[in-house]
Amino acid sequence: MGEINQNITQKTNEKVEEEVNQEEIPGVITTTSNAISDFIKKTAAQDFINWGRKNSLWFMTQPMGCCGVEMIATGCAHYDTDRFGIIPRNSPRHADVMIISGYVTKKYLPALKNLWEQMASPKWILAMGDCSISGGPFYESYSTVQNIDEIFPIDVFIPGCPPRPEALLEGFIQLQKKIAAKKDKGTNY
Amino acid sequence: MDAKTIIDSISNEFSDSISNTLIESEIRVSAYVSSPDVVEVCRYLKESLGFDHLSCESVVDYIKRDEFEVVYHIASYDHPVVLTLKAILPRDNPVIDSIVDVYWNANWYERENYELYGVSYTNHPYLKVLVLPEEMLGEWPLRKDYEGFPQKTAKNLV
Amino acid sequence: MIEKTTPSEMIVHIGPQHPMQPGPYRLNVKLHGETVVDLDVELGFIHKGIEKILENKTYLQGITIVDRMCYLAALSNEEVFCGCVERLAGIEPTPRSQYIRVIVEELSRIQSHLLGFGEFGHFIGYASMFMFTIKEREDVLSLLEMVTGTRITHSYIRFGGVREDLPEGFEEKCKKVFEGVRIACDEYEELLRTDTIFKERSVGVGVLTADIAKEYGVAGPSLRATGVPFDIRRNEPYLVYDDLDFNVCTQTEGDIFARVKVRLDEIRESMYIIEQALDQIPKGPLFAPDLPYGRRTPVMRVPQGEVFFRVEDPRGEMGMYMVSDGSDKPYRVKVRGPVFPTMQALPPLIKGESIADVTAIAGSMDSCTSEADR
Repeated sequence: MGEINQNITQKTNEKVEEEVNQEEIPGVITTTSNAISDFIKKTAAQDFINWGRKNSLWFMTQPMGCCGVEMIATGCAHYDTDRFGIIPRNSPRHADVMIISGYVTKKYLPALKNLWEQMASPKWILAMGDCSISGGPFYESYSTVQNIDEIFPIDVFIPGCPPRPEALLEGFIQLQKKIAAKKDKGTNY
Repeated sequence: MDAKTIIDSISNEFSDSISNTLIESEIRVSAYVSSPDVVEVCRYLKESLGFDHLSCESVVDYIKRDEFEVVYHIASYDHPVVLTLKAILPRDNPVIDSIVDVYWNANWYERENYELYGVSYTNHPYLKVLVLPEEMLGEWPLRKDYEGFPQKTAKNLV
Repeated sequence: MIEKTTPSEMIVHIGPQHPMQPGPYRLNVKLHGETVVDLDVELGFIHKGIEKILENKTYLQGITIVDRMCYLAALSNEEVFCGCVERLAGIEPTPRSQYIRVIVEELSRIQSHLLGFGEFGHFIGYASMFMFTIKEREDVLSLLEMVTGTRITHSYIRFGGVREDLPEGFEEKCKKVFEGVRIACDEYEELLRTDTIFKERSVGVGVLTADIAKEYGVAGPSLRATGVPFDIRRNEPYLVYDDLDFNVCTQTEGDIFARVKVRLDEIRESMYIIEQALDQIPKGPLFAPDLPYGRRTPVMRVPQGEVFFRVEDPRGEMGMYMVSDGSDKPYRVKVRGPVFPTMQALPPLIKGESIADVTAIAGSMDSCTSEADR
């Protein structure tokens, strides 16, 4: 679950499945939770589950830069993300969505990975602002990390420096649409 | 207290170590100090002339002259004069006394100068990295001959 | 780095992601029971190397970069940067643009204090306070947006002037918004005075005395809460602050309550300044006709020299030391942010308090990590 790299996770899951399938008990059909979830994905039940998921996207407040302030403003009274079931949470354990709201530095990257691993799946990532997408005004700095999309499976990119709260809301709506269409990257985690 | 009295006072007191004094305006004066006497001059400024506020401490890398200038901006909570005190260090072995004993808040400024420029301070209570990651210590990123800037790793640049 | 010495001690790491923090930093707290024995602040989680970037950008590009230094006081950052260049190049802004600068900077002070005030309420468990102040802040931001076109990073101030003139209907809208903010301020003050929980969390906690605050190099509201009337706008006037009438708000207690109270008073004082400026603002051009550089000139060469210029940020004394070597880029820019010494003063301030008060004290200093890290 905690692996960042998607392919590695899937490979290990396959191995586990093979091992389990080897111990066959006569008259009993054994299965794994992965197999069950794979089966559900093919049925209409998944649509219902995704409907629930997309309407409760709790995000983690972890302001990192200018965009962090806009993120706070979005979560508060005026823009009121509660309308869409989007609530700011302080703990990564409660959250479904992580918003990379600013410049990721070499010093902060390990902590950010740690936060991402602490979140319970299914979980999604939004890249908010130019800094997290391409480096923004600090693309050439000696202490920032570039190409965040190679490190995290980002679903929605919200350009702007910083994006307005409306843009962040639109980003969330796009994420909801992606989840409803089963095209998001986050559910596999 | 006006600019002229301040300059006269420190030039008289430390006639050997203070040089190149300059009155830029009524509220800005500057002087060069020889690097071994920095602590003494600062103590005099704080105790006798009312300069009780270290506003800033920075380093400028003059690569053509092969020198570092450590720049102290010393101000006061009572009068508006800011004294710019400069000490010249050689670029290959920049060592200077720490003024943490006199101005408590010099602590972090000196740590920052140490990690970004490699100016090492003697008698500093805790000279370790402050803003850089540990593994970047020794690269001295703000020096003019630093090679890691600009960083060219962003792939989606035109 | 703090280390555990006896078995009865415990080390708690607060951060880099914590509800208390407006930006990532880490507090390593050594506890004995519930009392803080030792404390260590770890910075640099959002160190972007702004000083190095500024050395490699032209002066006009630099305005955009200093904007992102502290996103809550972007206009003060621009003012200090443009002020340095103006002093080096010998440009005097026109009277009208000076008044406009005062207006937008004070607006930015109001929104910053509103956010800081609300955040502080959030830190001590008063989440609804955040919701209250954000509502007023949005109104103030709409005023700023009307003038500058953006909400928090403006790129509005230019060398020798400002980018745009005040729009039509600005004054009326200002009056309307200020009416609401004044009522809200009175409500907050009522809340401060009457709420027992708020008072118990803040009165007599995290006390700074004037001597210690001076020794630590603290400036801004945290220093004024100890009774020292140190304000760059008064001590070393820039722009047209000399012609405007305002009080330097002080309190004498030096505790958390006093700091919050000073911020609240400053919001009112800023509104008063803006109203005066709107009354007094002269008509005229935004840029002097004989300006050596156009408003959008990408390449401008600034004469050799160096300058140290200070302005009053919402959080205190903001200084900039700029060295120019005569080329189109600054040779060296050193930013002396107000938050850097404030955060440095956290360990001695928090030592000896209980762990429950750590967030309240650290939050009451209204620290903006982005600017401390730069």
